[in-house]
Amino acid sequence: MAGPAVRFSGITRRFPGVVALDDVSFDVAAGSCHAVCGENGAGKSTLGKILAGLLVPDAGTIELLGRAVRFSSPRDALQAGVAMVHQELALCENMTVAENLCLGAIPARHAFVSRRRLHQRARELLTAVGADTDPGRPMSGLTVAEQQRVQIAAAVGIGARVIVFDEPTSSLAEGEARQLYDLIGRLTASGVTVLYVSHRMHEIFRLCDAVTVLRDGRHVDTRPIDGLDEGAIVQMMIGRKLDQYFPAHVAGAPGGELLRVQGLTHPGRFEDVSFTVRAGEVVGLAGLVGAGRSEIAQALFGLDPDAAGTVHLGGARVRIRSPRHAMALGLGFVPEDRKRQGLVLSLLARENTTLPTLHRLSRRGWIERRREREVAEQFFTRLGVRQTLMEAATSALSGGNQQKLVLAKWLAADSRVLILDEPTRGVDVGAKAELHAWIDRLASSGVGILLISSELPELLNLSTRILVLRAGRLIGEVERERATQDRLLRLMTGLASTEAVA
Amino acid sequence: MLTLMAGSHVDPLTHQTVNNFLNKYTLLQMATDASGFAIMGVGATIVIIAGGIDLSVGAIYALAGVTMAMVLRAAGPMGTVPTVLLGLGTCIAVSLLCGLANGVMVIGLGVHSFIITLGTMWILRGLAFVTSQAESILVPNVLTNVVRAQMGLSEGLYPVPMLVMFVVTALGAVYLSRTVMGRHVFAVGGNPEASRYAGLNVKRVTLGVFVLSGLSAGIAAFLGAGFYGSSTSSDANGYELYVIASAVVGGASLSGGKGSAVSAMLGAMLIVVIRQAIRTLHLDQNYEWIIVGTAMILAVVIDQSGTKLLSRRLAAGRAASRSM
Repeated sequence: MAGPAVRFSGITRRFPGVVALDDVSFDVAAGSCHAVCGENGAGKSTLGKILAGLLVPDAGTIELLGRAVRFSSPRDALQAGVAMVHQELALCENMTVAENLCLGAIPARHAFVSRRRLHQRARELLTAVGADTDPGRPMSGLTVAEQQRVQIAAAVGIGARVIVFDEPTSSLAEGEARQLYDLIGRLTASGVTVLYVSHRMHEIFRLCDAVTVLRDGRHVDTRPIDGLDEGAIVQMMIGRKLDQYFPAHVAGAPGGELLRVQGLTHPGRFEDVSFTVRAGEVVGLAGLVGAGRSEIAQALFGLDPDAAGTVHLGGARVRIRSPRHAMALGLGFVPEDRKRQGLVLSLLARENTTLPTLHRLSRRGWIERRREREVAEQFFTRLGVRQTLMEAATSALSGGNQQKLVLAKWLAADSRVLILDEPTRGVDVGAKAELHAWIDRLASSGVGILLISSELPELLNLSTRILVLRAGRLIGEVERERATQDRLLRLMTGLASTEAVA
Repeated sequence: MLTLMAGSHVDPLTHQTVNNFLNKYTLLQMATDASGFAIMGVGATIVIIAGGIDLSVGAIYALAGVTMAMVLRAAGPMGTVPTVLLGLGTCIAVSLLCGLANGVMVIGLGVHSFIITLGTMWILRGLAFVTSQAESILVPNVLTNVVRAQMGLSEGLYPVPMLVMFVVTALGAVYLSRTVMGRHVFAVGGNPEASRYAGLNVKRVTLGVFVLSGLSAGIAAFLGAGFYGSSTSSDANGYELYVIASAVVGGASLSGGKGSAVSAMLGAMLIVVIRQAIRTLHLDQNYEWIIVGTAMILAVVIDQSGTKLLSRRLAAGRAASRSM
């Protein structure tokens, strides 16, 4: 092959308070799938965005197929044949699939949109990536996986030679992720170069030919994937040896029943869901995306007024009307989407930590600032977040630190039962290990935990037992000792019918 | 804002026209002029931080003013203290009710506050019109004497509106930075969904900010009516836009989560200073609106780019210190 598809030379980019990329140089071979990995905040997404024209580097040059390019907007990049499939979806949700696909060139006749040709063109593009989505459907009605496919179809449709994927599987279920891997394989086989930003090891080994590791914005190394193993990459990413991703769970005998859910039903979302969580237990909740996991969590936290069924907390029957009420009853909820539901990004880090408990740190409505500081300091120390970040804007923190803040909120609230919905999504390896250790420690201290996760290894390592949800119904409960990835997957996807000891 | 007097000031002692920009008369007059905008600007800032907007403050001002004038007229002559108490009480009661109505509709009907308060802007203005029958109603002299109290200053200087402005601004600043409610205002404006997930009562916060905004209009109406000695249903027409301009010139973000009471007061002062400068410099008054509009846009743009510049400098500084 003649020369690299992309050559980064001396790319540098600063943000307020951080150097996101510092003199990064490496080549991406044409037609390869090239992984860019590193911890959160290492600069990998920034690099992807620079290549796609979303960010302009402060210094350095990019060569595309041997020619120096300078993108000042995504439009420039698209014209040069570089497209990006985003981590957080970037499509017009209010428009149809077809309109989104042809946004740059809507077929028209005398300024009137030709719906027939629009849909025809869209169908062609979708077929090319193996999707059978109806082009007339509104974007907002699509699952994340389907939306992603539309993005890829759009990229292929404009004839992109280089496609940047930014953690594309972070909100996909296992099966959907596998379909994506196949598609990426087909893309590279047809000569498209893929820059694959991710920190998920198994994907990198499955998909990629070469890997570039970034740490603190600096280029650590670029190597062919052959001859590397997970341990070596992780070590490059964190700069030290990590004995294990997942610390072994210190199993203690579970205590008394904290949460009992019976016949929880919201027609169309979940039906007749019953389970219990005891003190010191981590109860895993597995299921494909769309199986109703988050919906159940939201119902328990008083966010679904239409859910029926009975809930007992600490032995007493309760009817949870609002998050406020749930909190007063000792329930904590780390939601799935920390930027939308977990944090107020415009507040300071300290202010987010004390948000649910501020009334306890005040006298007659006046904030007792010293006590607020002390509480925030205490949780920053306990969770291993630098004290200097207390007065930083929450939006400036790394994903891992942001997630620790969400957890800190509920620790400060002395929650007896914690619902964790994807607690380590988009969090780097180091922070993930710390969060896992925390979940374990919390359970050991007698908190009851309901853990929702799309990452089966996470569920397998942390849970005392795992409930499996399929299409809104609990179809099995697997004890820790008998739980394997294979068994769970079979239950989740319906390959195995039931496994009932609930 | 309280006066739309000619630019140059007639010195009451020498009866000479004073054209100097920086003399105590002009300065105090500008502060007096700014007081109404600034007081309502503090209320508007609180609403804007919470992610809303209140277009009805001008109408609340008018309704509170005419209601007070009518109540005082009906009550007949009274001493200073009862007059002030009854007048202020009426203004506050009317404005609180209006603010409450705004808040209840915003949270109950689930319609954006821009639309609700655009509606109440006309409704309340109409109510003021109907109740006063478009009549200009005099308020008792005792009230005017209080609002125009000299407090030991020379003739022609009226510090009361300015002092009230300082007090309201200080209260607003303390509310926003030191109270639980104030913190909740920032949280709800920054991200209502996350605030709800954190157990905050988002509806109560929303209700609260509209009540405070209404209250600020009531206080401004009391001062305005007292200062001029009368109230009509067309008072404070169009003031809502000046008030919002004060808040955004003071750095409040219309997307919520950001703003400051002190800056809103300074924003109001800036607008008044610009208007005063046009008169003092004998510029063609026909250009006033063009200049004020341009200045407002510039002020906001400079504020934003200043923030960006500062953060970039910080970034560069930290980068330098790290590479050492």
